[in-house]
Amino acid sequence: MNYSFDFQSIAYAPLMKGLLVTLELTIAANAIGLTFGFLLALLIMSRIAIIRLPAMLFVEFFRCTPAIVQIVWFFYCVPMLFNVFLGSLTMGILALGLNLMAFNAEAYRASIQAVPREQIDAGIALGLNPFQRVLYIVLPSAFRASIPVLLTNGIVIFQQSALVAIVAVQDLMYQGKTLATETYRPIETFTIVALIYFAVSFPVTQIVGYLERRRQLLVS
Amino acid sequence: MTMPFSPPLVRMQNLHKSYGPEIQVLKGLDIEMKPGERVVVIGPSGGGKSTLLRVMMGLEKIDSGSITFGGKPYISSEGVGRKTVIDTEVRRSIGMVFQHYTLFPHLNVVQNLILAPCKVRGERKAEATERAIALLSRFGLGAKAKAFPAQLSGGQKQRVAIARALMLDPKLMLFDEVTSALDPELVAEVEQVILQLANQNMPMMIVTHDMWFARNIASRVIFCAGGVVVEDGPPEQVLGSPKEERTKDFIERVFHIRQ
Repeated sequence: MNYSFDFQSIAYAPLMKGLLVTLELTIAANAIGLTFGFLLALLIMSRIAIIRLPAMLFVEFFRCTPAIVQIVWFFYCVPMLFNVFLGSLTMGILALGLNLMAFNAEAYRASIQAVPREQIDAGIALGLNPFQRVLYIVLPSAFRASIPVLLTNGIVIFQQSALVAIVAVQDLMYQGKTLATETYRPIETFTIVALIYFAVSFPVTQIVGYLERRRQLLVS
Repeated sequence: MTMPFSPPLVRMQNLHKSYGPEIQVLKGLDIEMKPGERVVVIGPSGGGKSTLLRVMMGLEKIDSGSITFGGKPYISSEGVGRKTVIDTEVRRSIGMVFQHYTLFPHLNVVQNLILAPCKVRGERKAEATERAIALLSRFGLGAKAKAFPAQLSGGQKQRVAIARALMLDPKLMLFDEVTSALDPELVAEVEQVILQLANQNMPMMIVTHDMWFARNIASRVIFCAGGVVVEDGPPEQVLGSPKEERTKDFIERVFHIRQ
């Protein structure tokens, strides 16, 4: 192989600008996913079918279609169908946020339903009313149990956010593509881009691993 | 001589409970418990012992029957599929300890103890904490006040669970196989705490497989099998010289004295 690498010609400033947009997308999508995902979890656990079924359909739609299709659909169909266009960054945040909301709802639901029945029995025996049992026993336990999955989902969204580049959100991936075309140095550019994604994700996955190990010690 | 003005502490009448049409766990149980009694319920697995305690605590619905507590109606049901009516006010005067400790893992020992007093009775935190610390030191757990459940041994967890139930000043304590999940060397420390309560005349109903403990603590032993009371009497009689064939058979098995 006689390809000579040239990392000198890569301009880092646009990449950093792109990274900021990517982080903005990630943080905003997580804010939506963490809060509304919880509300959605409550809906999919509802005993009332009229509430539960649409919520489940919503979740399954996002779980059973590719994220890239969701994003494209959101960008092209929503403005046409509903006559709203909010600017590409906002649309990107909403598309990613709704996707994350569906996955986080499942994470919340699983950990709420994993709280042992015995814990609730203990709450009844102590005279706590149903509302207090949920507030002081079920939710604190469930929240702690769901943290590793929520963090993992959050970091997946950080990576999935690269997909919004195809609809002209100027994120890290978009800047990388532009730079690669301008410099004719795609290998170097995408190496750098990959390293940046890795540098942000890796510490988070390590934290998830640590939390899971610690949790296993606490539960046993 | 019976005292005409002392009503039974608990009166269970004709309790029926089934899980689906196939499995009948309680088939018309009648038990009356006087104040100050320490009733140990023994019997084979599936005989309805644990279900009986869970029904008493209001954790299980019943098909029919009724329970009064201190002369007041507590639990009743009019038939299969009907609503089980539970007086939650009465329920608060009953405390229960479970086989698997059931401490809240996200709260430390003191927080486990004061949760219900603060939230249910509206007791002030400082006051409840003071009571909790006092109770813990009485049980030899003073040093563990700030520890989390995961940092405790099984015996310690179970003693904390007992203390937690006592924080609400129960008028009756239910112990559901509280030493069954413990390593053998940790059983004594838990039984010691229950004996301590017995010495203070706490009425209790205990389900246990530990016959030595049953003999030590019981003022009365009930042998329960097939969803009914088979034999009922003082410990010397039921454990020492049972009258019923089924009781004899069970006692011989658990003491390994079958010839």
